[in-house]
Amino acid sequence: MLSCGIDVGARTVKVVVLENGRIRGRAIRVAGLQVEDDVAAALKEAAAGEVRTIVATGSGREAVKEARQRPTGITCAARGIHFLLPEARMVIDVGAEEGRAIQCEGGRALNFAVNEKCAAGAGTFIETMSRTLEIAVDGFGPLALQSTKLVPMNAQCAVFAESEVVSLIHEKTPKQDIARAVCDAMAGRIGSMCRRLAITPPVALVGGVAKNTAFVRALENDLKTDLTIPPDAEYVSAIGAALIAAEEH
Amino acid sequence: MDFETFRRHGRGRHDYARDWKKRTGGKVVGTFCTYVPEEILAAGGVLPVRILGSHEPADDAEPYVFGMFCPFSRDCISQAIRGRYDYLDGTVLAQTCLHIRNTFWSWQKVNPGRFHYYMCFPIKVQSPRAVDYATGEMRAFRAAFEKWLGRPLADAQIRDAIRVCDENRALLEEIYGLRKDPHPPLTGREAMEMVLAGQLMDKREHNQLLRQALAALRTRRLERDPGVRLMIVGSEDDDTEFIGTTEELGCTIVVDEHCTGTRYFLNRTPDDPDPMRALARRYVGKPPCPSRDWDARTRTDRTLQLARDYNVQGALLVQQKFCDPHELDIPAIKSTLERNGIPTLFLEFDVTIPFGQFRTRIEAFLEMIRAEALF
Ligand code: SF4
Repeated sequence: MLSCGIDVGARTVKVVVLENGRIRGRAIRVAGLQVEDDVAAALKEAAAGEVRTIVATGSGREAVKEARQRPTGITCAARGIHFLLPEARMVIDVGAEEGRAIQCEGGRALNFAVNEKCAAGAGTFIETMSRTLEIAVDGFGPLALQSTKLVPMNAQCAVFAESEVVSLIHEKTPKQDIARAVCDAMAGRIGSMCRRLAITPPVALVGGVAKNTAFVRALENDLKTDLTIPPDAEYVSAIGAALIAAEEH
Repeated sequence: MDFETFRRHGRGRHDYARDWKKRTGGKVVGTFCTYVPEEILAAGGVLPVRILGSHEPADDAEPYVFGMFCPFSRDCISQAIRGRYDYLDGTVLAQTCLHIRNTFWSWQKVNPGRFHYYMCFPIKVQSPRAVDYATGEMRAFRAAFEKWLGRPLADAQIRDAIRVCDENRALLEEIYGLRKDPHPPLTGREAMEMVLAGQLMDKREHNQLLRQALAALRTRRLERDPGVRLMIVGSEDDDTEFIGTTEELGCTIVVDEHCTGTRYFLNRTPDDPDPMRALARRYVGKPPCPSRDWDARTRTDRTLQLARDYNVQGALLVQQKFCDPHELDIPAIKSTLERNGIPTLFLEFDVTIPFGQFRTRIEAFLEMIRAEALF
């Protein structure tokens, strides 16, 4: 019996298929203009048989017409992290367009905070900055880790932060120091969002930005706690949705 | 009873006021803040009209009200600039936060009204001297108003206006009380439309409508599932669209703690041989605005009491962006409610609201409460 969770995010569509409580298939696709087509393709790639129930989540969840339920990403991330890392009491999810922190227990969200104000607290910020610095997104973290000098940066706003980066470039500040400043500033923003809740370890970090090692280190320093990045971290909400789908049987 | 009547009065507030002027030949005075004693204005045959938001972008506010003042103060001045309130003969402010004071002063530059009165009102209503102070200010306001009207007011006229306003408060309280029912006979949006309409129309007419509404509500049954019972807490809030859209997500706002809601009408005027002192006692004793609630924060316990009385499962804490008085109160209210098992969701309001962003957060909040209820 297959149940399926689909997480339609701002940047990607993620599909997870569960069979008897185990991951049977998964797929990730870039979300284009025709999200319905991307969902169908990802579903085809991930599903090895007849899917019984679909639950959709994420900002584009309305696009999944056949979904039995459409819970929010917050509820799904709390469910999903319980599957991946049952001991986690907090999950920080930093995706392309949004950052959020969720206090959780036993698969339930107890409280949450969302950074909705500005791109300076989400993955697109790092993408924009890597364009400005003319380096690959994947190389951003490793480069920042080479830095030996702290450069303060005030990333209250992505637009102002970009002009700050441009002046640092003009001042011939080494790229690795600028990259680190960007990671530190973004971690500062995500950290203050988390502090709107209490920091309750063990803390898991998920979402695309978890791949950026310099950001992870900066956030650990800011929160003064270790962060665990579970395997399949980008699928956490899709897994949560699939678990909810399984309950529908 | 057509419950849409209240909505129509809210939407057509300017037409109502202009029409009222034509019908009665009377004057209309705008009020800033719930501490303006409307009774004195009404006793002189003047229609008090609360200045509320329009929820249209307020870019033209810029040379008059600083960009980092609250959206409500900017929305108000913007409407004056656009001439929406040109029918007003004056405005009265009861001293409150700096943001709305700025709007009050700027207003006089752009609005043709003649009578603009800045009423001092104790900023510490807990002071044992607050009633004496407020009594003196009530007298000063009455005298200035009489001078502008060109005739003195009789105490009997003021007492009559007090009676009408108290009846209004009692009716609203009774209607709100029906929302304690597990299946409230009216939505939060309808309740807000009702209480707002009363701040825009002739109280006697409003009382008449409220009496009809009350009778109809006693037997009314809404087809919708009330879902999660929420309360909404914050400053000035006239965003009925927000309440309506929120309620479509599977909840009902069963009570509010807003200066346009319960803080406007809960409590009555005590008996006092001196009507000015009676008014002072009523206004000093009303549920306080956070800018006057010193030294103890009594609003916190009152909010908790309301939450309990209305059996709420969660609270939306809304704040007008940059509003200092409420920024100060929210942490205390949040921790008090949460300590008592009532989860909260903080939302920051602007002149217009990005409902798409709010939507996911409200849905997640409701999912959290529903999951909690299952355990
Ligand atoms: S109390 Fe807050 S919302 Fe009300 S006018 Fe002042 S700053 Fe604005």
